[in-house]
Amino acid sequence: MGFYFVDPKTYKKYKDRVLELSHAVQINFQEHLPAGNRQPALSDKQIAQRLGIEEHVVREIRCVAERDKYPIDEFEAAIHFKDKACRDYAAKGMSSVMSKYVKRAKKE
Amino acid sequence: MRAQSRKKPGKTDPAETDSAHMDFEGAKAEITGIAHKSGALVWGVVAADAFEAAPEGRRPSDLLPRAESVLVVGGAQPRAGDWQSPNYQHMEVTTTSDRIHGLALRLARVVEDHYGYYAVCVPAGVDHGQQPFMSIAMAAELAGCGSKSLAGPVLHPEYGFMYFGAIVTTMPLPADGPLEIPACPAPECVEMYSSEGLTPCTRVCPIASGGCLSGRIEDGRIVERQYDVARCTTRVQNYWVPGFQKVLGETLRERDPEKQKMILYSSMFSRTLWSMTYANVSQGQCAECMRVCPLGRAHRTKQ
Repeated sequence: MGFYFVDPKTYKKYKDRVLELSHAVQINFQEHLPAGNRQPALSDKQIAQRLGIEEHVVREIRCVAERDKYPIDEFEAAIHFKDKACRDYAAKGMSSVMSKYVKRAKKE
Repeated sequence: MRAQSRKKPGKTDPAETDSAHMDFEGAKAEITGIAHKSGALVWGVVAADAFEAAPEGRRPSDLLPRAESVLVVGGAQPRAGDWQSPNYQHMEVTTTSDRIHGLALRLARVVEDHYGYYAVCVPAGVDHGQQPFMSIAMAAELAGCGSKSLAGPVLHPEYGFMYFGAIVTTMPLPADGPLEIPACPAPECVEMYSSEGLTPCTRVCPIASGGCLSGRIEDGRIVERQYDVARCTTRVQNYWVPGFQKVLGETLRERDPEKQKMILYSSMFSRTLWSMTYANVSQGQCAECMRVCPLGRAHRTKQ
């Protein structure tokens, strides 16, 4: 008994295109954006049709590529990011990000 | 007529259900009344055929054939005090999303046992393609429970961030509509953007400086948005399945048993395993864009 996975050559060949079409970075993805601006991602089935490969191959490439995009260092960096942002908010509240408006509200 | 309104769950024979004579407005009021009493802050209904923007395979009828309606409930936000803690790890292990899923499961039972229609609670997890079975966020927006934000989550105009649950049903409940005026951007954010080109969420997590978000506002509305899903994953699922896979990969590559031990017993890997043990559905391990969101701030401000 085995399990299915994509061979690394196929992965390397298609991963950038799959990430781009599936919107790993969503650019104007949301439904409520003006129709002319909106760029919804393609589904795995649509990407498969576009690239001429099978849908389950696209799914595997996408799943691996999404995880592969950032190295483990980024997970370490996330810890420091959250710690700083959280402590800044605890110390300064909303003025940690919008001091000008908090000061103005206090004057009023 | 309010069909079987006095019967308790589990007492209804589906054959007794007479949809031609059922008071669906009354039934909706009764179901949402139960939702309210059970802790939901907001609720709404959307017709199952309103999900044109959803990709094929992720629409209500893909989960439940002959689906007529999707009932959405929202609430179970973190407490006001949770947002004030200087320890970001606190919210990582006090997720409250499972409460709203539990409520949705209860309502699904009411629809089936009390009214005799099929009801499926949309799973909070992901399928084998690591994608949601159906977008609960889209359902919440279409049902008028809030609107999608620059940061991503659906936000309610008064309460701001909350968790949502959705039930797909064959019961033809009267539908609500989306909000006429989107909750995001809040007036404070529009003002900040007009002078600085940033909002609180895009300032705290800017895509151009190693974060996840950016966007453009015109005439008080979001007209452009960028969101780095993979980077957000490193923050929201920091100590969870993605983090586990990364550390496991490093461990398998390491040939030196002493170094391997350092990785396996490290604080990050240990914390990841604890986190996976705690989790029954999912954990959101980053809330910094929501922490600074002005929407719902009045409800998050206490003595």
